[in-house]
Amino acid sequence: MSTAQTRFVYVTYIRTTPEKLWAALTQPEFTKQYWFGVTMKSDWKAGADWTMFHEDGRVFDAGSIVEADAPRRLVIKWRNEWKPEFKAEGYSRCTMEIEQTPDSVKLSVIHEMDVANSAFINEGVSNGWPKILSNLKSLLETGSVLAIEKS
Amino acid sequence: MSDPNEMIVPPDLVYVTFIRSTPQKVWDALTQSEFTRQFFFGRTIESDWKQGSAWRLVMEDGRTDVEGEVLESDPPRHLQVSWKVAWIEEARALTPAIVTYDIEQTGDAVKLTLTQHNPGPVPRKFIDAGKQGWAAILSSLKSLLETGQPLVIRMKAPE
Repeated sequence: MSTAQTRFVYVTYIRTTPEKLWAALTQPEFTKQYWFGVTMKSDWKAGADWTMFHEDGRVFDAGSIVEADAPRRLVIKWRNEWKPEFKAEGYSRCTMEIEQTPDSVKLSVIHEMDVANSAFINEGVSNGWPKILSNLKSLLETGSVLAIEKS
Repeated sequence: MSDPNEMIVPPDLVYVTFIRSTPQKVWDALTQSEFTRQFFFGRTIESDWKQGSAWRLVMEDGRTDVEGEVLESDPPRHLQVSWKVAWIEEARALTPAIVTYDIEQTGDAVKLTLTQHNPGPVPRKFIDAGKQGWAAILSSLKSLLETGQPLVIRMKAPE
């Protein structure tokens, strides 16, 4: 267990393969569909820069890849760049674990911050991930995303 | 490692999922056996879903898994039940959990919010098993309603 003071955990099971899920989590042609227009730029290797862009080109979040073990595990050092009160909290850590089960793939997202009562985790991330990951599951299982608002 | 038998009063467990469906279909899936047996580890479910009525979740071999009372019922938007796990000896003596489903239309989808409130102390292993269980159950429910096919997820009971 890490010592993070604020943590959000979300687990979902998706009927897909670890390889397809890894691609969906990292490649822009997928992320822009289920992540409300977002794209990410990185070469997805440990130590590499990582940047998340809004469709208008603004940088939403930025950081670096801490661990990358495709298609099983990805850890990102992650800071919000567009909301001053979130940015002031510093870097969070987002761990994505992908595990094959007999009929589906288990995806666990653990997003945590070494700040007590982190607003980025409790207000930003906690509201965003259920929508994003519900949309991702729909995309991979049905080929289309939901018509829901980002917020 | 945390002690699995440590008694804790946990924070509320909240799980939110968005499902391409209607509130009525989500309500029916949560309250009718023809659906629960597909996504809820084979369980059937019994109640008239009126406030004050008893309800129970039944295993395939006929044993009661969970039983309780309907505390609040406003179909197809809101359902709150007391939740007493009956089939694990150690769980029977515990204060029942309060489980709430909130169902809300948003865009072409339904936002389903599951909240599990434990008013009394519970061994940590049951809380951990509950977190794993709800994620599997609600993932399978979403697959069932969106694709017609639930997921087959196997899970062991807490020991």
